[in-house]
Amino acid sequence: MSPAPRDRGVLVGVVGLEDDARVDFARLRGQRRAKVLSGMETHSFDALMLGGVGDVHYVSGARQLARAGVLPFAPVAVVVRETGRVHLLSTWDEGVPPEIGHDDLYGLCWNPANLVAALATIPGLRESRRVGTDGLTPMFAALLAPILGSAELVDAAPVIATARRIKTADEITCLQVASAIAEAALSAMEDALAPGITERELLGVYYERVAGLSTPIAPSESVCFATPARGPVRFRHLASDRRVGDGELVVLAPGALYAGYEAGLARTRVAGGGGPPGTADLAARCTRSMDALLAACRPGNTGADLYGAWEDGGNRESAVPLAHGLGLGAEPPVIGLGRGGDATLEDGMVMSVQSWVAEEGVGGCLERATLLIEGGKCSTLTRYGRL
Amino acid sequence: MRRERFGRLQDQLAAHGIDGLVLLGSSSAAYATGAAVPGQDGDLAALFRPVAVVAKGDSAPHLYTLYGDGVPGEVPEDHLHGPLFPDLDDGMELFAKALANHFGAGATIGIDDQTHAMLRGLHGFDWVDASEVMGSAKITKTPDEVACIRNAQLLNELAMADALSMLRPGVRQIDLSATFLRRVFELGASANGIDPIWQVMAPTRERGPWTLHGDIAYPTVTTDRFLREGDVIWVDAGILWEGYASDFGRTWITSVDPVPNNRQLGQFRRWRAVVDAALGRLKPGVSALELGRAAIEANDGVRPWIEHFYLAHGVGTDSAEMPLIGTDFGEQFDEQLILEPGMVVVFEPVIWDDGAAGYRSEDIVAVTDSGWVKLSGSTYDPFRLST
Repeated sequence: MSPAPRDRGVLVGVVGLEDDARVDFARLRGQRRAKVLSGMETHSFDALMLGGVGDVHYVSGARQLARAGVLPFAPVAVVVRETGRVHLLSTWDEGVPPEIGHDDLYGLCWNPANLVAALATIPGLRESRRVGTDGLTPMFAALLAPILGSAELVDAAPVIATARRIKTADEITCLQVASAIAEAALSAMEDALAPGITERELLGVYYERVAGLSTPIAPSESVCFATPARGPVRFRHLASDRRVGDGELVVLAPGALYAGYEAGLARTRVAGGGGPPGTADLAARCTRSMDALLAACRPGNTGADLYGAWEDGGNRESAVPLAHGLGLGAEPPVIGLGRGGDATLEDGMVMSVQSWVAEEGVGGCLERATLLIEGGKCSTLTRYGRL
Repeated sequence: MRRERFGRLQDQLAAHGIDGLVLLGSSSAAYATGAAVPGQDGDLAALFRPVAVVAKGDSAPHLYTLYGDGVPGEVPEDHLHGPLFPDLDDGMELFAKALANHFGAGATIGIDDQTHAMLRGLHGFDWVDASEVMGSAKITKTPDEVACIRNAQLLNELAMADALSMLRPGVRQIDLSATFLRRVFELGASANGIDPIWQVMAPTRERGPWTLHGDIAYPTVTTDRFLREGDVIWVDAGILWEGYASDFGRTWITSVDPVPNNRQLGQFRRWRAVVDAALGRLKPGVSALELGRAAIEANDGVRPWIEHFYLAHGVGTDSAEMPLIGTDFGEQFDEQLILEPGMVVVFEPVIWDDGAAGYRSEDIVAVTDSGWVKLSGSTYDPFRLST
């Protein structure tokens, strides 16, 4: 993962878990790059200009500073088919894989005009006729026009999203490691769960665990919420100061990133003594619905089959997506909230699938798993005792 | 605060002759609506992002979000909608329909980020970059916004006290992240903004990571690197509170008894002198260029900041926003950038002392009607000097 460092030994941090003993990262990056270049050939793309975190990571493998939230499009990585080179916005080589040379880097700028001027020096970019991007802004469209001339700016998704959708064996290993880290976080949260603890404190426990395991970046800080035994029950995303009540059902839903790959799972636990009457029935419905969703996750099935499995279990439309793709972060398709009915599941896809059920007077119950579609069925990458 | 921000956006729409805004980036959407979202890594944040729509003359923003528990109470029911999924073609007709409800055909709409699904599916509008409208509204802060930044900073500083207290030889960078992240959420942070940085500074430029410009590399990503006796660490972290970013910067020394030597104390005093020179000039009406020149003069004519950064930057719903002072926008830009009451400025000069690393901290001030008021704390442990 790291470039050949100037320093050696104890002066180097490797993000301990990102170790070639688990995954051959050079091979992983090589296979990703080959898929991208071959896709560019197939779709007649001369260059790609990418800004999405997952896309940039996919083509470069660079370990870049993680920031929360969505940043508007900016060209952070450029791939040129003619030269087969990947160019990266990085002022230094630390965290940049060795196959991306010093000549392939362009530096951080605040003035977008200077950034575009740096792009203009990338060999082969100005000659490109078709350039794929993963987004645009009116400002970059205007700034890029002079250097790209009459080149067509088109959607990079046929290349990059297609490459990302089907995972290689090394990518699946990364997702398994991420799963294990998420499970470790779930264990820590489960140990800490007791009446009186706040959601924020549980989020703190989560962060301490994943950071201690060398992965301090959370895919999501939506990792826990207590559900009330009285009144309406809603899926909540934000940790609050609310103290967990004795006997309440509490959703624990940690995720983790390993080498950029995201996995996550959720279980619902009763804090303290037994849950309210109806808990067992609600948990059974959650599990049954989850099993139905998992059974529907077969190659050749579509999102509509997941909707069908959900409704056949007597559930109303879910307030949260039933499933979405996973890889270097979240990916299409999104199945749920009216979307993704036509999305086809294929061998090699990895999905986050979740069953959320709630009942007034009892609480809410969530089960979530990261699963791999493979060999005509799905297998869960996350493993943890159920309710 | 939210009402005032919305008023500013309306004023700017009128001033720029734009009919409305469609905002997809986290900081812009948060500014326009006050909607809270869980902290999320890039692609997950993007796939499930909220969308804000501001129509000229309307009384409130329209908010399209999955995160119901993050919706401010005052958003009228008819302005609150389900998520739009701008990254998916599936359902783009709903996005188009939503826009048709807010804008007439041919409307000029400011936008901060465009997906290809939007470029394919949203027609009949004149899209312009939203950055001018957003920048003009955001560059000065209301007293409530300043209070939010101050509180975000306070939470950040309190959690850093815990991290500093555990710093000693053998602690790893990620251990500091674990302690900091746990504590800052216990204290009330809404989200983490960036992977906390604890970069060990090589004593010379030559021994640090290779850079494009030959200046020092900073900030580089946290790893499991061990911290050893005498290591000089440049700390940088940012969290969000109520949508506003903090920015913590300090220089620490790894030791069982961290006492800066005379050379290090000299670096610190010079850093202080540089900031004080800029603060001495800071009041409404002064230009960014004058502040930069004062800082350079206080450093004996040597530019006291890193080539790819700045003397100072603004902070708000973005961790680095206008006013930027001393960037590659150039001197003419700085000359025309005039400081005004309500601007928030983060001074982060760097005193580099080749052979003995250097000193870097960050002081945050808000420009008042007659001068400035400090928002960040005034302890600089382990330099044991208060200012």
